[in-house]
Order: sequence, then structure tokens, then C-alpha cells
Amino acid sequence: MVIILKNILAIYQRELQSYFASPLPYIIAAVFWLLGGFFLVAILLGPQGILAQAAMADQSVQMGLPTPPPFDVAYEFNKAYVGLLGSLSMFVLPMLSMGLYADERKQGTLELLATSPVTNWAVALGKLLAVVSFYIAMVLPLMVCQAIALGAATPPTGSGVFLLSHLGLVLMAASVLALGMFISSLTESTVLAAIMTFALILLLWLVDAVAQGLPGVLGSAIAHLSLLKHFTDFTEGIFDTGGLVLFLSFIGLGLYLTAQSIETLRFQRS
Amino acid sequence: MIEVEHLSKTYGSTTAIQDITFGAQPGEILGFLGPNGAGKTTTMRILAGYLPASEGTARVAGYDVHTDSMAVRQRIGYLPESPPLYPDMTVQGFLIFVAKIKGVSSDLRQKRAEIAMDHCGLLDKRKVLIRKLSKGYRQRVGIAQAIIHDPPVIILDEPTVGLDPRQINEVRQLIKGLAGSHTIILSTHILPEVSMTCDRVTIINRGQVVATDTPDNLTTRLSGEAAYEVEIKGDVDIAQRLLTDLTPVRQVTLLGPDHLPDYHHRLRVSAEADRALGGAIAAALVNAGLELHELRRQQATLEDVFLNLTTTEPSSGEAVALEPSLSEEIVEESIEEQEA
Repeated sequence: MVIILKNILAIYQRELQSYFASPLPYIIAAVFWLLGGFFLVAILLGPQGILAQAAMADQSVQMGLPTPPPFDVAYEFNKAYVGLLGSLSMFVLPMLSMGLYADERKQGTLELLATSPVTNWAVALGKLLAVVSFYIAMVLPLMVCQAIALGAATPPTGSGVFLLSHLGLVLMAASVLALGMFISSLTESTVLAAIMTFALILLLWLVDAVAQGLPGVLGSAIAHLSLLKHFTDFTEGIFDTGGLVLFLSFIGLGLYLTAQSIETLRFQRS
Repeated sequence: MIEVEHLSKTYGSTTAIQDITFGAQPGEILGFLGPNGAGKTTTMRILAGYLPASEGTARVAGYDVHTDSMAVRQRIGYLPESPPLYPDMTVQGFLIFVAKIKGVSSDLRQKRAEIAMDHCGLLDKRKVLIRKLSKGYRQRVGIAQAIIHDPPVIILDEPTVGLDPRQINEVRQLIKGLAGSHTIILSTHILPEVSMTCDRVTIINRGQVVATDTPDNLTTRLSGEAAYEVEIKGDVDIAQRLLTDLTPVRQVTLLGPDHLPDYHHRLRVSAEADRALGGAIAAALVNAGLELHELRRQQATLEDVFLNLTTTEPSSGEAVALEPSLSEEIVEESIEEQEA
């Protein structure tokens, strides 16, 4: 057991190290921060932003127009912004997961891992932890900016919804990364892995859309399996164990499929 | 230490190796020799636990490579055909990583990395990114990662590919130095490599073992005949008659008169393997009053044996002639080797 943990740690460290050695992660993070920062300002202060909407609501009250429904600026801002980070991540995640195994296959290092006393599970878990860590590192600075903005709210808001929504964000990202890792283990081409992962994300989004469109039991059954639906719940501050279980199941599925795919690869390789 | 029994591997309908049986004793260097595409890499991969065999068993250090994969993986160092390297790591960082996943305890890792780098001549490259290394150095890093955890069994798939002659020599010395405390199996298609480094050779062709023996035995036992080249001055007919009359002689052929002074002739005498024949030839010629200018025993080289074994039809009766271009290539390669 200790050995397995050590192996996971070794894989994790090597994987994290590789993010510093290659220019691609820097570029991905830079673009993510640029867009994230831009939308932070746009959503908060832009002409159609939350503050502008709140000001309009105030105005209409003063002008004696019908009172709009009550409006929690801090809550709405958090929901909109974390939701946006979720959408933004969908473009970034395939690029983070694409190289996880495709590069190992291309470099032939998979042969080293597969002939070392390390289980496929340990390798997959180490890699997933590393890429999720990198994702968290990407989200953290934006979280800080957001926290500063929320800190200025009067009356002060609790940190519960804020933290819960980000937990949802990380869980959803981890689920997608786990599936992306599996896709990456299927091919030697990183580009192909990225495209296929992106297609998978579109499919997940489509599932969500179908679930909303379908009435009755079928619709709600599909909705239970929708990552986006549960992510939205988290951003709205609704903590639901069902959602947590779903995310963890997706992560487990991704790990399982990856480990199996590497095992099968060894059996088929010609 | 290594026991391979009736091992077969098929990829779909193509057979890579068929009913291979061989073994290596502890502390021995076993050469695995065969032309390109003979099934060397497949066998190596099965031994390393990377590929499962279709049939048969392979045991390394007493553990079955398929059912006890983890136990085998702990006991082998494996250099695949192309060295498995992370281009964005430094030599030292990579070796420490390999030591970690091979289960070397944390207090020994640095020391083992030093030893491996020292063995492979990498000490001055320890901080260099692998991406920036030349092919020869990469190959050395590949060897270093195979020996870093001091495994009892080392599997090297073409370890000297891409190295310059001096490096090849160094690697051979390194491999020889590792023998005794380690069991080593190395594959190659370069013949002198086998005769220089290996205790025993298994020759494989078209997925089947055609011979297993020591390099010396292979050359003497399998060649089965001795040949002498003779240069004389005088009447060639008398010489031919005299030589044909000697007991073990099978055939005497007159070789072309290229670059020979007048009245000089060159003859090739083939006979049953007999070490005393040289004296008899000399005596017969000199007693007949012929001038003997040169008498040379031609020893069959491992190349002859190899070509002999890999170009004739195997016992199964299948037509398995090596393409001529391939055998020529091998000979040329080995000649280049020797010249180098």
C-alpha cells in the first residue's frame, strides 16, 4: 500500500514537473487568466454587468415602476462568473488532458511504465491528480480576484456558496479530465485526443440539452446523469450528494477505463 | 534465471515467434541474434512482461512473466528498442524518477543514480535536458535506466544501436562488467558483438530458434570443415594431384590468378575439420619440390555460421530463405563493425 502511494506520488511529481518544462501549459494558463480576468470585469462592471442591472433595478424603484423581484448582487455575480469559468474550462480541459497518455505512447515511455513495478491504476491516478492540481492552480488566481470583489459587498456574503461553487467547478473539471485522459490513452496523437475530448464535451452538453427538452421520467433520468446540470446546482449553492456521487463516478469511470485501455493496449499491440 | 519454453506469439494471422525454447543461467550473458524482423523484439517484450505470449511460458528469476508480472517487473531492467525517455527531464532527474518507480528506497536513489551515470559515462551530462542529448547519449541514458535499480536480470534490446565505435566498445565493456552478478540477455543483429560479449548465443530466424551454443562451439561445431588457402610457385597440376591424395581432403579448387606473379598459383583446399592437415599440406608440397609461398587456414567465422543457418531451409520444410539483400546487409554491417 505504501509502495503504491509512493508510486502515485512519483508519477504525480514527474507529471507536475513536466508542466514547468513545456511552453504549452504556460500559454494555456495565460490565455485562461486573460479571458477569466476580462470576463470578471465584464460581468461585474460592464454595461450589461451585474452592477449595471442592479442600478437599473434601483432606478425603476425610485421612478415608481413595478418593483422587480429581489436581487442578490453577490449571489448572482458568483453564479454567473463560476458558470462562465465552467464554460471557459471546456475549451481548456481538452488541451490539458490530451498529452497525458498520448505523449507517453509517442515517446515510448509507456513501455517503461508498463514494465516497471507500478500498476496501471497508480499511473492513471498520479496523472489525474497532477492535471487536476494544475487546473486548480489555474483557477486559484481568478478565485482570489473574485473573492476581493465579493469582499466589497454590503451586507457581507458568506463564503459557503462561493466555495461550494468552486468545488463544483473543480469536480466537473476532474470528471472531464478523467474522461479526457482515457481518450488520450487511446491514441498516439495529441491533436486527435484533444479533438475527441472536445467532441465528448459537446456530447455532454447535448445530453444536458436533451434532458431539458424531454418531458417526464426520461428527461429527469437523463438530467440526473448530466454533468452540467449538477455543476449548475453547485454554482447556485445547492449541495446535493447525488451530484457529488455523479462526479466521483465519472472520475472513477475515467480512471477505470484508462487502466483497462492500457492493459488492452499491451494485449493488442503489434 | 531465464527460462523460455515453447513460446509463440501471433499478431492476428502473422506469426512473430513460433515455439521458441531457450534459457540463460545466472550470471550469464546470452546473445539473441537474428536478422531484422526475426522476432527478437517480440521475445524481449514478452520477457519484460510488456506483451503476453500467445502460447508457452516464460519465467524470469523463477516467476512467470504473465501470472507474476509484478514480481518479474521488480527483478528486471529493460532497455526497449527505442530508449524510453522524457525529453523534458534532465538526465539525473529522469534517473531518479526511474529509481522511484522501480522501488529503490529514497536513501539509495542518489547513490544508485551516481553509479549508473558513472557506468554509462553520463556524469558530465547530468544536468542536461534529455531533449538536447545526441542519439548516442540517449542510448546511454536508456542503458542507465535499465541498470539503476541493480536488477538481477537485465534485458537489452539492441543496446549498441546508434553509438559510435568507441562508445560501442565502452558499452560492451560495461555489459561484460555487469555479468556475473547479473544475468543479461541482449539482442542484436551485429555478429561481432555476440562473439565479443556473449557467453552463449541463441540464433533466431523467422521466429524460430535455429541454434543455441557458445560462440566458439557454434563456429567449430557447425562449420564442420576446415579450409586452407595455399599459394605455390611451380607446376599446379602436380600440386593439385598431391593435395587431392591427402586423406581428409575433400576438394581442391584452383583460384583465379588475380594479382599473382608468374608461375604463382593459388589453391583452395577444403577438408574434414582436422588441425594436423596444415603440416601435411606443407610437407607434401615442399617434398615435391614446389615453392610454398603462403599457407593459411581459413576459420569459419560466426558470420558463415549465421548465414548458413539463416539462409538454409529449416527442418520444418518451409521455404525460409532470407532475402539476399538482407544477408548482404548483415555481412556488410558486420564488416563495417570490424573495420571500425
